[in-house]
Amino acid sequence: MSKKLEKELYKAATLTFEELGFLLPTPEIDEQQLNARVEAAVSVDFEGPFSGKLLLRVCGGLLPIIATNMLGEEDVPSKSLQYDALGEIANVICGNMLPEIAGSDHIFHVSSPEIVDDIDLPPVAEVQVGLGTGRADLLLFVFNYPALMEE
Amino acid sequence: MALNILVVDDSSVMRAMIIKTLRLSQLPLGEVLEAPNGQEALKVLDNKWIDLALVDINMPVMDGEEMIDTLRQNPETADLPVIIISTEGSETRKESLLQRGTGFVHKPFTPETLRDTILKTIGGLDEQKAGEGTV
Repeated sequence: MSKKLEKELYKAATLTFEELGFLLPTPEIDEQQLNARVEAAVSVDFEGPFSGKLLLRVCGGLLPIIATNMLGEEDVPSKSLQYDALGEIANVICGNMLPEIAGSDHIFHVSSPEIVDDIDLPPVAEVQVGLGTGRADLLLFVFNYPALMEE
Repeated sequence: MALNILVVDDSSVMRAMIIKTLRLSQLPLGEVLEAPNGQEALKVLDNKWIDLALVDINMPVMDGEEMIDTLRQNPETADLPVIIISTEGSETRKESLLQRGTGFVHKPFTPETLRDTILKTIGGLDEQKAGEGTV
């Protein structure tokens, strides 16, 4: 695992959850957050100087909370809107992380988010963010840039 | 003058967030219309008078860059004020977009940033119309 990638991934994730999802990350991950059940996962693909995928999965009741916060409504949004909101969070995290790890001169194309189960590949970076009583897991996969995995 | 604004983003939640921000911004709003990609946005522009378009970059079917290029080639929409709302972090790509006469708001954004960029873009347009400056 690359410490530099994990640092940038964590930074982009906490910024996005705070400013877009109106959720403050907890300083530590406690037992309840750690044992929370996975409820949904989405991924976004990116292509540029190197290509890859960012997977975001949420646990412990975060899926409806994120959409409710983003829409600013009291009623719980539909499942479709809940996944749309989660996908947008993944998209923004990915878009904010890429220039930090690749430099701001490079152009990346980030695909629309997709609902996924899991990805059976070794990630180059993996971080966990504690949010309320749940947590978000972020896994970064890079397909054609071995040097990035070694940094 | 009430502004007719077109919000173009493939995320319906993001469109809703932008529209909510617009409604809280105290801008003089007319109709606020939505489209999930560039192609659908061009259809809206064929049928409605729009004063300002807020456009994402990465979208399926037709992305924001292609949409803006199409707008700029059409004499009827060549001068339409456009603000990009995107996670785009590439300075190269941002520079290319700014050269096409767009404003830029980075996601995630605050309501104040969006409102101020809209005011700057529309204000710049008014100056240009009055022949007192350029955008």
